[in-house]
Amino acid sequence: MPSYEVGETFELDRGPVTTVQLVMYAGASGDFNRIHYDLPFAQEAGLGGVIAHGMLTMGFAGQLLTNWAGPRAFVKAISARFVSSVRPGDTVRLRGTVTAIEPVAGASIVSVDFTGAVQDREVISGAAKMAFPA
Amino acid sequence: MTLSGRDSQATTEIDRSLVGSASEPFVVEVEKGAIRRFAEAIGDPDPRYRDRTAAQAAGFPDIIAPPTFPVTFRSPEEPVWTRYLDRRRILAGGQSFEYVRPIRCGERLVCRVHFVAVEEKSGRSGRMEFLHQEIRGATEGGEPVFVHRRTTVYRAARVEKRQ
Repeated sequence: MPSYEVGETFELDRGPVTTVQLVMYAGASGDFNRIHYDLPFAQEAGLGGVIAHGMLTMGFAGQLLTNWAGPRAFVKAISARFVSSVRPGDTVRLRGTVTAIEPVAGASIVSVDFTGAVQDREVISGAAKMAFPA
Repeated sequence: MTLSGRDSQATTEIDRSLVGSASEPFVVEVEKGAIRRFAEAIGDPDPRYRDRTAAQAAGFPDIIAPPTFPVTFRSPEEPVWTRYLDRRRILAGGQSFEYVRPIRCGERLVCRVHFVAVEEKSGRSGRMEFLHQEIRGATEGGEPVFVHRRTTVYRAARVEKRQ
Protein backbone atom coordinates (compact mmCIF):
# COMPACT_ATOMS: atom_id res chain seq x y z
CA MET A 1 0.00 0.00 0.00
CA PRO A 2 1.45 3.40 -0.88
CA SER A 3 1.87 5.84 1.97
CA TYR A 4 -0.30 8.91 1.80
CA GLU A 5 -1.09 11.83 4.03
CA VAL A 6 -3.46 14.79 4.06
CA GLY A 7 -2.04 17.64 2.00
CA GLU A 8 0.00 15.36 -0.26
CA THR A 9 -0.19 16.38 -3.93
CA PHE A 10 0.40 14.50 -7.18
CA GLU A 11 0.37 15.46 -10.85
CA LEU A 12 -0.10 14.04 -14.33
CA ASP A 13 0.26 15.76 -17.70
CA ARG A 14 -1.89 14.46 -20.56
CA GLY A 15 -1.65 15.67 -24.10
CA PRO A 16 -1.40 17.23 -26.50
CA VAL A 17 -4.96 16.20 -27.30
CA THR A 18 -5.37 15.32 -30.98
CA THR A 19 -8.40 15.26 -33.30
CA VAL A 20 -7.68 11.55 -33.87
CA GLN A 21 -8.06 11.02 -30.12
CA LEU A 22 -11.43 12.82 -30.20
CA VAL A 23 -12.59 10.52 -33.00
CA MET A 24 -11.36 7.47 -31.03
CA TYR A 25 -13.18 8.72 -27.95
CA ALA A 26 -16.37 9.30 -29.96
CA GLY A 27 -16.18 5.71 -31.22
CA ALA A 28 -15.31 4.14 -27.86
CA SER A 29 -17.87 6.13 -25.87
CA GLY A 30 -20.66 6.30 -28.44
CA ASP A 31 -20.84 10.09 -28.10
CA PHE A 32 -20.96 11.17 -31.72
CA ASN A 33 -21.87 14.80 -31.18
CA ARG A 34 -20.21 16.46 -34.20
CA ILE A 35 -18.95 19.42 -32.14
CA HIS A 36 -16.07 17.08 -31.21
CA TYR A 37 -14.76 16.32 -34.72
CA ASP A 38 -16.65 18.25 -37.42
CA LEU A 39 -15.08 21.71 -37.78
CA PRO A 40 -17.86 23.49 -39.81
CA PHE A 41 -20.50 22.03 -37.46
CA ALA A 42 -18.55 23.19 -34.37
CA GLN A 43 -18.07 26.64 -35.90
CA GLU A 44 -21.75 26.94 -36.72
CA ALA A 45 -22.48 26.00 -33.10
CA GLY A 46 -20.51 29.10 -32.09
CA LEU A 47 -17.67 27.17 -30.46
CA GLY A 48 -14.87 28.56 -32.64
CA GLY A 49 -13.66 25.05 -33.55
CA VAL A 50 -13.93 21.49 -32.30
CA ILE A 51 -13.73 20.91 -28.57
CA ALA A 52 -12.77 17.76 -26.65
CA HIS A 53 -15.41 15.67 -24.91
CA GLY A 54 -15.54 16.80 -21.28
CA MET A 55 -15.59 13.12 -20.44
CA LEU A 56 -12.21 12.62 -22.13
CA THR A 57 -10.73 15.16 -19.70
CA MET A 58 -12.49 13.34 -16.87
CA GLY A 59 -10.89 10.13 -18.15
CA PHE A 60 -7.51 11.85 -17.68
CA ALA A 61 -8.55 12.69 -14.10
CA GLY A 62 -9.35 9.01 -13.50
CA GLN A 63 -5.85 8.16 -14.67
CA LEU A 64 -4.35 10.80 -12.36
CA LEU A 65 -6.01 9.01 -9.43
CA THR A 66 -5.32 5.39 -10.33
CA ASN A 67 -1.71 6.16 -11.33
CA TRP A 68 -1.12 7.68 -7.93
CA ALA A 69 -3.09 5.16 -5.88
CA GLY A 70 -1.54 2.03 -7.40
CA PRO A 71 -3.12 -1.18 -8.75
CA ARG A 72 -4.81 -2.45 -5.56
CA ALA A 73 -6.89 0.69 -5.03
CA PHE A 74 -10.01 1.58 -6.96
CA VAL A 75 -12.11 4.67 -7.55
CA LYS A 76 -15.08 4.57 -5.18
CA ALA A 77 -16.45 7.91 -6.36
CA ILE A 78 -15.43 10.63 -8.78
CA SER A 79 -17.24 13.82 -9.72
CA ALA A 80 -16.17 16.63 -11.99
CA ARG A 81 -17.33 19.91 -13.39
CA PHE A 82 -16.18 21.05 -16.81
CA VAL A 83 -15.03 24.63 -16.36
CA SER A 84 -13.80 25.49 -19.86
CA SER A 85 -13.13 23.71 -23.13
CA VAL A 86 -10.11 21.61 -24.08
CA ARG A 87 -9.14 21.78 -27.75
CA PRO A 88 -6.82 19.80 -30.02
CA GLY A 89 -3.23 20.83 -29.27
CA ASP A 90 -3.93 21.44 -25.57
CA THR A 91 -2.02 19.62 -22.84
CA VAL A 92 -3.90 19.23 -19.58
CA ARG A 93 -1.94 19.36 -16.32
CA LEU A 94 -3.86 17.51 -13.63
CA ARG A 95 -3.15 17.89 -9.97
CA GLY A 96 -4.62 16.03 -7.01
CA THR A 97 -4.52 16.87 -3.30
CA VAL A 98 -5.37 14.47 -0.48
CA THR A 99 -8.02 16.09 1.73
CA ALA A 100 -9.03 13.31 4.14
CA ILE A 101 -8.26 9.71 5.11
CA GLU A 102 -10.79 7.53 6.89
CA PRO A 103 -10.52 3.90 7.92
CA VAL A 104 -13.58 1.84 6.87
CA ALA A 105 -13.84 -1.83 7.82
CA GLY A 106 -10.14 -2.56 7.59
CA ALA A 107 -9.76 -0.55 4.37
CA SER A 108 -9.00 3.14 3.89
CA ILE A 109 -11.04 5.67 1.97
CA VAL A 110 -8.87 8.55 0.83
CA SER A 111 -10.59 11.76 -0.36
CA VAL A 112 -8.92 13.78 -3.07
CA ASP A 113 -9.68 17.13 -4.71
CA PHE A 114 -8.38 17.58 -8.22
CA THR A 115 -8.11 20.23 -10.90
CA GLY A 116 -6.92 20.28 -14.47
CA ALA A 117 -5.57 23.27 -16.35
CA VAL A 118 -4.33 24.15 -19.82
CA GLN A 119 -1.51 26.56 -19.05
CA ASP A 120 -3.19 28.92 -16.56
CA ARG A 121 -6.77 28.25 -17.62
CA GLU A 122 -8.74 25.83 -15.46
CA VAL A 123 -10.64 23.23 -17.54
CA ILE A 124 -11.91 20.75 -14.93
CA SER A 125 -12.31 20.55 -11.19
CA GLY A 126 -13.60 17.75 -9.06
CA ALA A 127 -13.34 15.41 -6.13
CA ALA A 128 -12.89 11.69 -5.66
CA LYS A 129 -12.75 8.94 -3.07
CA MET A 130 -10.23 6.15 -3.50
CA ALA A 131 -10.70 2.80 -1.74
CA PHE A 132 -7.50 1.12 -0.57
CA PRO A 133 -7.94 -2.48 0.58
CA ALA A 134 -6.45 -3.53 3.91
CA MET B 1 -32.21 7.04 -35.83
CA THR B 2 -29.09 9.03 -36.56
CA LEU B 3 -27.94 11.61 -34.05
CA SER B 4 -28.53 14.51 -36.39
CA GLY B 5 -31.86 13.21 -37.68
CA ARG B 6 -34.93 14.56 -35.93
CA ASP B 7 -38.62 14.13 -36.14
CA SER B 8 -39.75 17.39 -37.75
CA GLN B 9 -42.89 17.32 -35.59
CA ALA B 10 -40.93 17.37 -32.36
CA THR B 11 -39.83 20.40 -30.40
CA THR B 12 -36.14 20.82 -29.64
CA GLU B 13 -36.96 22.30 -26.23
CA ILE B 14 -36.76 20.27 -23.01
CA ASP B 15 -40.12 18.76 -22.08
CA ARG B 16 -40.41 19.35 -18.34
CA SER B 17 -43.45 17.12 -18.03
CA LEU B 18 -41.03 14.18 -18.39
CA VAL B 19 -39.08 14.94 -15.19
CA GLY B 20 -39.35 11.90 -12.92
CA SER B 21 -39.55 9.38 -15.76
CA ALA B 22 -37.19 6.47 -16.24
CA SER B 23 -36.18 4.45 -19.27
CA GLU B 24 -36.99 0.78 -19.64
CA PRO B 25 -34.26 -1.35 -18.05
CA PHE B 26 -31.58 -2.46 -20.52
CA VAL B 27 -28.80 -5.01 -20.13
CA VAL B 28 -25.18 -4.12 -20.86
CA GLU B 29 -22.72 -6.94 -21.43
CA VAL B 30 -19.34 -5.67 -20.30
CA GLU B 31 -16.98 -6.78 -23.03
CA LYS B 32 -13.19 -7.06 -22.87
CA GLY B 33 -12.73 -5.33 -26.27
CA ALA B 34 -14.99 -2.44 -25.29
CA ILE B 35 -12.98 -1.84 -22.09
CA ARG B 36 -9.69 -2.00 -24.00
CA ARG B 37 -10.88 0.39 -26.74
CA PHE B 38 -12.14 2.82 -24.13
CA ALA B 39 -8.82 2.70 -22.22
CA GLU B 40 -6.98 3.29 -25.51
CA ALA B 41 -9.22 6.25 -26.37
CA ILE B 42 -8.49 7.97 -23.06
CA GLY B 43 -4.83 6.99 -23.44
CA ASP B 44 -4.61 5.03 -20.18
CA PRO B 45 -2.11 2.14 -20.32
CA ASP B 46 -3.26 0.59 -16.97
CA PRO B 47 -2.83 -3.22 -17.38
CA ARG B 48 -5.86 -3.89 -15.14
CA TYR B 49 -8.03 -2.67 -18.06
CA ARG B 50 -6.53 -5.22 -20.50
CA ASP B 51 -4.99 -8.20 -18.77
CA ARG B 52 -6.81 -10.58 -16.44
CA THR B 53 -3.58 -11.74 -14.80
CA ALA B 54 -2.62 -8.16 -13.93
CA ALA B 55 -6.12 -7.45 -12.59
CA GLN B 56 -6.08 -10.62 -10.49
CA ALA B 57 -2.61 -9.82 -9.15
CA ALA B 58 -4.11 -6.54 -7.92
CA GLY B 59 -6.89 -8.40 -6.12
CA PHE B 60 -9.76 -8.17 -8.64
CA PRO B 61 -11.57 -11.25 -10.00
CA ASP B 62 -11.21 -10.19 -13.65
CA ILE B 63 -10.30 -7.24 -15.92
CA ILE B 64 -11.89 -4.06 -14.55
CA ALA B 65 -13.20 -0.98 -16.35
CA PRO B 66 -11.95 2.62 -15.97
CA PRO B 67 -14.08 4.75 -13.63
CA THR B 68 -15.70 6.75 -16.44
CA PHE B 69 -16.58 3.65 -18.51
CA PRO B 70 -20.37 3.80 -17.85
CA VAL B 71 -20.55 6.72 -20.33
CA THR B 72 -20.52 3.95 -22.94
CA PHE B 73 -23.74 2.41 -21.56
CA ARG B 74 -26.51 3.62 -23.83
CA SER B 75 -30.10 2.54 -23.82
CA PRO B 76 -31.04 0.91 -27.15
CA GLU B 77 -33.33 3.87 -27.80
CA GLU B 78 -32.25 7.30 -26.67
CA PRO B 79 -34.61 8.45 -23.88
CA VAL B 80 -37.41 10.63 -25.21
CA TRP B 81 -36.37 13.60 -23.01
CA THR B 82 -33.04 13.98 -24.86
CA ARG B 83 -33.91 12.46 -28.23
CA TYR B 84 -35.04 15.64 -29.96
CA LEU B 85 -32.57 18.12 -28.47
CA ASP B 86 -30.37 20.16 -30.83
CA ARG B 87 -26.83 18.70 -30.59
CA ARG B 88 -25.24 22.10 -31.27
CA ARG B 89 -26.80 23.46 -28.08
CA ILE B 90 -25.61 20.59 -25.84
CA LEU B 91 -22.55 20.90 -23.60
CA ALA B 92 -21.36 18.63 -20.81
CA GLY B 93 -21.96 20.29 -17.46
CA GLY B 94 -20.64 17.79 -14.96
CA GLN B 95 -20.63 14.13 -14.19
CA SER B 96 -20.17 11.83 -11.26
CA PHE B 97 -19.74 8.10 -10.74
CA GLU B 98 -20.17 6.15 -7.53
CA TYR B 99 -19.16 2.52 -7.15
CA VAL B 100 -19.81 -0.32 -4.75
CA ARG B 101 -16.92 -2.03 -6.59
CA PRO B 102 -15.30 -1.65 -10.03
CA ILE B 103 -17.19 -2.89 -13.09
CA ARG B 104 -15.81 -6.23 -14.30
CA CYS B 105 -15.29 -7.72 -17.71
CA GLY B 106 -17.83 -10.41 -18.57
CA GLU B 107 -20.61 -9.26 -16.27
CA ARG B 108 -24.13 -8.29 -17.31
CA LEU B 109 -25.46 -5.09 -15.79
CA VAL B 110 -29.09 -4.08 -15.73
CA CYS B 111 -29.23 -0.30 -16.25
CA ARG B 112 -31.94 2.34 -16.22
CA VAL B 113 -31.78 6.04 -17.07
CA HIS B 114 -33.72 8.37 -14.76
CA PHE B 115 -34.64 11.96 -15.68
CA VAL B 116 -34.13 13.63 -12.29
CA ALA B 117 -34.55 17.39 -12.75
CA VAL B 118 -34.20 20.50 -14.93
CA GLU B 119 -32.87 23.83 -13.63
CA GLU B 120 -32.71 27.10 -15.49
CA LYS B 121 -29.77 29.47 -15.03
CA SER B 122 -28.51 32.61 -16.68
CA GLY B 123 -24.86 32.64 -17.67
CA ARG B 124 -22.48 34.87 -19.61
CA SER B 125 -23.77 33.46 -22.87
CA GLY B 126 -27.46 33.80 -21.99
CA ARG B 127 -30.09 31.48 -20.64
CA MET B 128 -29.13 27.85 -20.10
CA GLU B 129 -30.97 24.82 -18.83
CA PHE B 130 -29.29 22.12 -16.75
CA LEU B 131 -30.70 18.67 -17.32
CA HIS B 132 -29.90 16.15 -14.55
CA GLN B 133 -29.97 12.43 -15.30
CA GLU B 134 -28.96 9.34 -13.34
CA ILE B 135 -28.03 5.94 -14.72
CA ARG B 136 -28.18 3.17 -12.15
CA GLY B 137 -26.59 -0.20 -12.81
CA ALA B 138 -26.99 -3.46 -10.89
CA THR B 139 -26.19 -7.12 -11.41
CA GLU B 140 -28.93 -9.37 -12.73
CA GLY B 141 -29.27 -10.57 -9.13
CA GLY B 142 -30.15 -7.00 -8.09
CA GLU B 143 -26.85 -6.13 -6.35
CA PRO B 144 -26.16 -2.39 -7.02
CA VAL B 145 -22.82 -1.72 -8.74
CA PHE B 146 -22.75 1.92 -9.83
CA VAL B 147 -24.63 5.21 -10.10
CA HIS B 148 -23.67 7.62 -12.87
CA ARG B 149 -25.04 11.15 -12.54
CA ARG B 150 -24.77 13.52 -15.45
CA THR B 151 -25.64 17.14 -15.97
CA THR B 152 -26.16 18.32 -19.52
CA VAL B 153 -26.08 22.04 -20.30
CA TYR B 154 -28.63 23.05 -22.90
CA ARG B 155 -27.89 26.50 -24.31
CA ALA B 156 -30.65 28.81 -25.49
CA ALA B 157 -31.43 28.74 -29.21
CA ARG B 158 -29.38 31.29 -31.18
CA VAL B 159 -31.45 34.21 -32.37
CA GLU B 160 -29.49 35.11 -35.50
CA LYS B 161 -27.83 32.61 -37.78
CA ARG B 162 -24.34 33.29 -39.04
CA GLN B 163 -23.49 31.94 -42.45
